[in-house]
Amino acid sequence: MGVVVLGVGYCGSFPTSSGLSYRELIARAASMAYQDAGINPEQIDGAVTVEEDFISGYSIADEYTPDQIGMVRKPIYTVPGDFLQGIGSAVMQIKTGRFKTVVVASFSKASNVLTKDEVVGFAYDPIFNRLGVTPHYLAGIEMQHFLSGSSFTAVDVAEFSAKSRNSALCNPLAPYASRVNVSDVLGARSVASPVTELMMARPADAAVVVVLGTDDEVMDTARKPVYVTGTGWASGNSIIERRDHGISAGTALAAKMAYAEANIENPEAEIDVAYVCDIYAHRALMHMEALGLSCDMLPFVNPDGGAQAGGDLFEATSGARFFDAVRQLRGEAGVHQIEGAERALVHGWRGVPTDTCAVVILEGEGR
Amino acid sequence: MKNNRVAVIGAGMTRFVRRANESSGELASQAVQMALQDAGLTIDDIDCVCLGTAPDAFDGIHMNGENLIAGSGGRHKPYMRHYVGGGTGVMSPIHGWMHVASGKFRTCLVVCEEKMSPCNPHPAGAFLTIFDHTTEQPLELTLIHIFSIEMCRFMHTYGYTEEEIAQISVLCKKNAMDHPAAQIAQQITVKDVMSSPVLSWPVKRLDISPTSDAAVAIVLANETVARNHCKAPVFIEGVGYRLDTAYWCTRDLAFPNYVAMAARDAYEMAGITQPADQIDIWEPYDPFDYKALHHMNALLLDKGGRRTKELLHSGAFERSGSHPLCPSGGALGVGNPIAATGLMKIAELYFQLSGQAGKRQVNKNALRGVAQAWGDLMQVGTVVVMSSEGGMPRTTPWSQKKAEDLPGTALKSFDEVPHFKYEPDLRYAWDNGQALTTYLDGLKKGHIRGSKCPKCNRMMIPVRQFCEICNLQAVNDVYDLPDSGTVQTFTLSNVNWDSSPLPDGKVNIFAVIAIDGATEEMGLIHKLSEVKPKDVKIGMRVKAVWKPEAERTGNILDIQYFKPVSDKGQSDIRPRQIKPVELDAISAQPFKGRIPMKYIYTAGQGGGRFYKDLFEGKLSGTYCKACDAVHMPPTSFCEVSMTRLDPEKDARVVNPKSGVVAAFTVVHEDRSGHQLNEPKVVVQVEFPEAFGSVFGKLEVKDGDVIEVGMPVELVKLSKGAGAEQITFRSRA
Repeated sequence: MGVVVLGVGYCGSFPTSSGLSYRELIARAASMAYQDAGINPEQIDGAVTVEEDFISGYSIADEYTPDQIGMVRKPIYTVPGDFLQGIGSAVMQIKTGRFKTVVVASFSKASNVLTKDEVVGFAYDPIFNRLGVTPHYLAGIEMQHFLSGSSFTAVDVAEFSAKSRNSALCNPLAPYASRVNVSDVLGARSVASPVTELMMARPADAAVVVVLGTDDEVMDTARKPVYVTGTGWASGNSIIERRDHGISAGTALAAKMAYAEANIENPEAEIDVAYVCDIYAHRALMHMEALGLSCDMLPFVNPDGGAQAGGDLFEATSGARFFDAVRQLRGEAGVHQIEGAERALVHGWRGVPTDTCAVVILEGEGR
Repeated sequence: MKNNRVAVIGAGMTRFVRRANESSGELASQAVQMALQDAGLTIDDIDCVCLGTAPDAFDGIHMNGENLIAGSGGRHKPYMRHYVGGGTGVMSPIHGWMHVASGKFRTCLVVCEEKMSPCNPHPAGAFLTIFDHTTEQPLELTLIHIFSIEMCRFMHTYGYTEEEIAQISVLCKKNAMDHPAAQIAQQITVKDVMSSPVLSWPVKRLDISPTSDAAVAIVLANETVARNHCKAPVFIEGVGYRLDTAYWCTRDLAFPNYVAMAARDAYEMAGITQPADQIDIWEPYDPFDYKALHHMNALLLDKGGRRTKELLHSGAFERSGSHPLCPSGGALGVGNPIAATGLMKIAELYFQLSGQAGKRQVNKNALRGVAQAWGDLMQVGTVVVMSSEGGMPRTTPWSQKKAEDLPGTALKSFDEVPHFKYEPDLRYAWDNGQALTTYLDGLKKGHIRGSKCPKCNRMMIPVRQFCEICNLQAVNDVYDLPDSGTVQTFTLSNVNWDSSPLPDGKVNIFAVIAIDGATEEMGLIHKLSEVKPKDVKIGMRVKAVWKPEAERTGNILDIQYFKPVSDKGQSDIRPRQIKPVELDAISAQPFKGRIPMKYIYTAGQGGGRFYKDLFEGKLSGTYCKACDAVHMPPTSFCEVSMTRLDPEKDARVVNPKSGVVAAFTVVHEDRSGHQLNEPKVVVQVEFPEAFGSVFGKLEVKDGDVIEVGMPVELVKLSKGAGAEQITFRSRA
């Protein structure tokens, strides 16, 4: 049994979205996804939502998930993880044979969180790792390890950031697209050396909703089906004192799992477009290494500008990339369309202090 | 490997205690080690890990699932957390079942952990922020209030007395006396329950389960692995889970339809058509005693409630009865570390159905059992049906376990061990959007507003922009409604939101009020006043008492309270359609809020050793035989082999002056993101004798050249200092 993306919806991303409550933001993305899939919520068997309590601003955030996606009293649960883990969970649900259609939803109302760094810092181990400084300190440590253990330099990292922000100038969904160069990035305000402000994705608001179904549903409903042919997720060591910060073990393991499922042996040759998590620019390069993608692949990485241009959506960040990947495979990505894209890789990372990563392989109808 | 049957083949758990010394990760690791041992597997045999933990607000760690990776055996594995509030525990084997039944994995380690004690002054305080931040949190509600409200409605609808309900508390605490993990097992009477302090009528202290710290783990396997590794595998035959609307005041509080729907799903999958006759053991969620009965109505698919009452009165719920209920002792007796409680119930079915329950073994040849959990805003039901192929009572390590055989160290006070206080600054400004802006504008003008769905014609409170049950149908028609209504249910509360007692003689009356002009039972929660507590009745007519207009701000507190009114009929005022507020820069104001939590963390076994050393100017690591390495910082488990270590017995002295900077960063912002006056240097320091490192700040002196490889020494800490004070200085 194959699993297919029947429809996608996206509302965002915006630096702020003061005219919309989180419910209204998500409902818009959900309505778009259902319309795209040609399906009504009542026809859907279940849902997975992806969010974390303190980003959503509740002690039990999953209470507030069913209404705005039209899933009241349906089988629904929350994955406090990366959006792609939610996709992985939904795919497993369908493959049990008990569900035919499952919707996956996530959102960010980052503009409503007044103390974002406090929230991120609150994720650090309370016994050993809350050092009373910016939670981005681990990104600085990581970047130093990464640069000393690879052939990349700080200039390469800055180039990645500049390229992402420039390439998204024509992407209407990328509010942080800008015309910056390597000097701008390297000379930007230092947050946690060598990480500068322009190497970090800025928070944004958005909602993303994806409708998944079995491939036997495709003929009846999907407008332009996209197949989910591989999913993988894995976590590096959560004890940061004993983690190798120069690599992303979580990414490498997640990729291995997804590649095996999608029968990919040579990722660079077999993947047409890749979306890698770039909440910090150095992480994008680290992730590419772990995914088995060389610098030759850079023109085909994050054609939408990634999170550097589209913003950090916390749990929903990889959802934005997933949305763009589906548009690529449908040939609907507009000015940043990669010609002939038939197979896409989408990667997600949960941000500091984690090394939890997920990979999804998507394929178009033509394959 | 398609559509495998999935079986439980091993279980482990810590003791359930009010305040554990172990850190969250250490608790999880202890349960995991036991479960692996019980299943006869090692961590290398595990394909993936599923984690269940309920609100991060308890453990006091954002993204708590990430922090628990190492302790749960999830390092370098596919690891995923799932979450449905209090329903998480029974959702956990369901999510694990998906992992295996999908054919993607052969084995799955399912771990549930909850450490509620860090949340201070009382874990109940975490429940303030489960309510809608804009329309409900200003009322300063907590979970006990809505439990009491639900219990009141349940008693009213089904005619239960408090004494009848108290029998469940008596039963569970008695059953728990045979459970090795039990926290508050005791022989009590109905009279004891009735005479215990009233916290929020009708709920009394002995109606409630305790707050707890604990972890539980089980091993799931596909049929092939299960039959190879387990003498009596217990199969998951049916699963169901349903989540109702977040608008909890609009729902039938007497009968949990969402639990019944989840049960139907599970029964249909398991081929059960007559649950009362086909299920041998019942483990409904029992955080309060009435909840077991409330849930039994749903699990028996008995909305009329007659069967549950008959079973209660006939003694059938006893362990020796025809329908043994919570033979484990349940949340009321074993304890209630939320997510871990649900998985404890699953473990109990595994023990019972495989004949390993020892003294707790039910007095029948049990082949099939059901476990259920519940949570969120009285909103989610999770149900699992399990069956065995005839596990006769037998002697196994689990059938003989005593309390002292289980890990988990109970503390009477935090002062017994190194511990740290922390207060996160969690502030928000919520965009109200079109619908809530219009609702709050109504409150400012002295009106309760609703909106009408053109499809189902429900008049909904508060105002919505879409209908949640009509395929997200756009809703544009907004009405001013009468500010009167009818009490649906209520509680007479003696406690604040953080569980602290109200001043003597003060009683807060909270009621769910069905507002006139809205669809039947569509209501809101608010306070009642100008009425004696003893005179409050369901069905009482009430009217809003507003603040003076000049003092209203567009807040639910613009209604000071509702007071009784004498009229028996509907209000004469009819709903009046109005235009929604036009959103602009002035009207689209956010609603400000915060999560007001404070925490006290124990350093745990590993952290305890680390800080004890550091207070003496020393340093040690923990030797792991499996890795043949000294782990730094000290630890009570090895996250690679998932073997148990002893930070005291396995301690290896490390020279605190032998550190070398492995990496450093100069940080320019404080923990809130504000620019520092002087940048600080954070270093990761390795020690030649150890595997691992220590993170801390570097004391920089003039002339210091900070670089990788720089020799540094650890500075002695003063007692009570935590991670924020870990400091290194140059050895040059």
